[in-house]
Amino acid sequence: MTPAPLSQLRSALDAIVVGQQEAKAGLLLALLAREHAYLEGPPGCAKTLLAEGFAALTGGRTAAIRFHRDVGEADLLGDPVLQRRRTATGDRLAFGHDRGPLLLAEIAVLDDLSRAPGEALTPLLRVLDQRRLGEHPLPLEMAIATGCPPGADACIDPLEPTQLDRFAIQVRMHGALCSADARWARALLEWRSPEAIVPVLSAQVRGELQHTAAQLTIGDGVRAALLQLAQRVAAAVPTGMRGAITDRAFSRMALAVLRAHAMLRGAKRVERVDLAALRYMLGCRVPETVRERLESWIDEAMVEDQIAVSAVSVSVLDHGAPVGEDVGGTRVRPAAASGALPQVEGAVATGSSDRPAEVEPLLRALTGRIEHGRVEPGDDPGGQPRRYRRLRRLDEILDADALEAMLFVEGRLVGTPRTFQRRRRKMGGTLAVLRDVSASMEGRLSRCAGEIVGGLFHAGARQHMRIGYVEFNHRAEVFRASGRFFHRHYARLRPLAGARRAEGRTSYEAPLRAALDEFRGGPRGNRHVVLLTDGVPVLGDPTVARERALARDLGVRIHTVFVGDGECPAVLDTISRETDGGRFRASAGTGGRLRVRGRP
Amino acid sequence: MSDALGRLRELLDRHVVGHAEAKEALLLGLLCREHIYLEGPPGTAKTRMAEVAARGSSMAFFYYQLHRDTRLAELVGDVVIERRPLDGAPGERIHQRIEPGGILTAEVCVLDDISRAPGEALNVLLRILNERKFGDRPIPLLCAIATGNPMHEEYYNEPLDPANLDRFALHLRVDSLIGTHAAEARTLIDRFAEGLVVEQPDAPPVCDRQTLDRLFAALPTITLPDAVKDALMEVFRVLVGEYGCDETNSILTDRSFLVKAVKLLRGRALIAGRSVVEPPDLDLLRWMTTFRVPEEVHEKVPEILQRVIGKASPM
Repeated sequence: MTPAPLSQLRSALDAIVVGQQEAKAGLLLALLAREHAYLEGPPGCAKTLLAEGFAALTGGRTAAIRFHRDVGEADLLGDPVLQRRRTATGDRLAFGHDRGPLLLAEIAVLDDLSRAPGEALTPLLRVLDQRRLGEHPLPLEMAIATGCPPGADACIDPLEPTQLDRFAIQVRMHGALCSADARWARALLEWRSPEAIVPVLSAQVRGELQHTAAQLTIGDGVRAALLQLAQRVAAAVPTGMRGAITDRAFSRMALAVLRAHAMLRGAKRVERVDLAALRYMLGCRVPETVRERLESWIDEAMVEDQIAVSAVSVSVLDHGAPVGEDVGGTRVRPAAASGALPQVEGAVATGSSDRPAEVEPLLRALTGRIEHGRVEPGDDPGGQPRRYRRLRRLDEILDADALEAMLFVEGRLVGTPRTFQRRRRKMGGTLAVLRDVSASMEGRLSRCAGEIVGGLFHAGARQHMRIGYVEFNHRAEVFRASGRFFHRHYARLRPLAGARRAEGRTSYEAPLRAALDEFRGGPRGNRHVVLLTDGVPVLGDPTVARERALARDLGVRIHTVFVGDGECPAVLDTISRETDGGRFRASAGTGGRLRVRGRP
Repeated sequence: MSDALGRLRELLDRHVVGHAEAKEALLLGLLCREHIYLEGPPGTAKTRMAEVAARGSSMAFFYYQLHRDTRLAELVGDVVIERRPLDGAPGERIHQRIEPGGILTAEVCVLDDISRAPGEALNVLLRILNERKFGDRPIPLLCAIATGNPMHEEYYNEPLDPANLDRFALHLRVDSLIGTHAAEARTLIDRFAEGLVVEQPDAPPVCDRQTLDRLFAALPTITLPDAVKDALMEVFRVLVGEYGCDETNSILTDRSFLVKAVKLLRGRALIAGRSVVEPPDLDLLRWMTTFRVPEEVHEKVPEILQRVIGKASPM
């Protein structure tokens, strides 16, 4: 039977939030395990209410931080402090940090965590994990973070798996309406906002519960089953996401959560049934496809029999779909299979010296746009000092003119001191190369396209860009490496430039949709698509209206290259103009060789 | 095995499950004063290993998690602005300087997520690491351990420039135990289940700086036989001649492979309690080629080494 204080806590929670049983159970587990929890769900499904209500009920000292784009380290860990000390030789100004609310809290609520700038979070998450700042231990018992699912707001970069790993409990929440749960929705109509919340627990009770939970014994069978389950999950997760299945999660965190689960049952020791608690850990650690099978794996793990780990098919998951099967008009094939493609004589060399001169102007212009484009050097504290500007944040005083900083601190300066504006050219970025391989794309046209593709790979690699490659005719063939469309396995890309075939008809919609979908949720900034084609779209939407709008939304520039002597379809110009991409044409020049130039 | 280093290894084994290669590299780094780059997913005890080693040898330890906004000042100490009266003349002097701290005073340091640091901070940092000097003053640093996430997981950060990686003599990949070492993963689970893991291991010192200094001074006395020298040359001959490594695709610097490698080979013999380097010690070269030769060549390196070692070892 559940210990009395915990059932009281649960019913008090039920009085505040209707439904959301899984999230509530997750929070109870986290509290007992002294681990952190992350609640992910669409807007308006009571994430914040639940987090803040729960924090108040525990009776702990709380800190609630609402995240937004500009939250910085100072807002979390404490205000910057300027200290001035008089010494025998003169005055000294030193810079330090105050102890902020997060460092004093027992139960912290980190609301809308996914809105914080991805990397500014790193110091915070480190503090959460270590529960100390420098040598100072923190009183923190648990942090409850909330966030929106990736893709819910295009302005937000999703949290990285490595950041999410600090949260042992990870639960996905859904609304009553979208779950089509009429009874739950009906009950919500009766909901009234809670009045003052009276704490149910106290520091002493929490401490005793947590201590008792930590003492529960875990038998051999449970340990073995845990390990097997962990291996099974790890094997099923695509390589790119393996980072989420960490030793830390499945040793320290999992054992604490299992103990908490046994404690909630009122049991004296951890048993196999407690493995059910693992579902509360895996909400955001594994992709949808794995989560669907998780329940049955956990059920199997709770049975005494041995589990056959080898039954998991990794290859299918690795590529998102069975190899070679049609998925919504997009054929998926791993890049590794590229060796099987027909190789035509004189494979394209990517070294610049071997490249015919005719392609050079295009590559220069394109790489120019890719490397510089309109992606100006951005402000970056690690950049080169360019000029002075006024100080905007107090910690910039370290980089400010020393004399003015001194006068500023003494209140003798009108305004703020000057500080360096540091700027730096951003490297990286994302490039998708879409190559037409329809029937008309043969002979010199195809060779020309191959040279352009090879040159683009080379330029992208030099910029450390993540590159994706699609060949298309009436449908798109997406190449992947290690299960990823955008990747930096340049060695695997290079042979693709030389591979060529010519069959089928042309659709612009299929390749653009396939490539643009891959940009969703990824890092924004410096995103490019290069569309190489020799024909007019005869299949799919010839105006690609939806894809143009999507490209604008995603901030992707589409550069178009028309190869051949015919008339360039007007839609290519529209695509590039609307997305601020470059427009090029490769056509026969003197001596029948192809020349590449900008389209007027 | 040398006593002090043997005790340090035992201490590491007691507090960290698995990762035998990383532990050995860590001892080598401490002994030979070389930096280490560990690449691997989060939550694989990278920091813990370094911290236990530092505390176990009673040395000053510094941990820093690098991030996009890392400023140099956070790594090297506090920035102080001083105002002094001018000698004899009316007026004041305003002076900005750095009060040493962080990596300037540490003997062992962990630089977590190193590729996240912005260019400016990183360049100065790597320079300090390389020269072991700040301004004119030598720093007490023995070994810096930098960590990074695998390339394909670098979602937001730019990959570290290979030239920067060359500052770290040893490059290791650390895997999660669950994915690759089932027995060790089970041990880890057992330790947590039995409550044997201390979150902040307060390891009693089993070694000290003087001992490490003495061992370091003894390195040149270790003999490097001609057979090992020949074998070393043979490895480079294969890499350059058979696998086409050159200046454009690899970082085969003389500094790394002719100077540091020799020091590390001697260190390995010393750790094993020998006064002579033996051909199997060459095995450590695979911790040096990780990011210095093309990936497909690095995959062949263990094979190359085995062949060369087999040929050089007396029957």
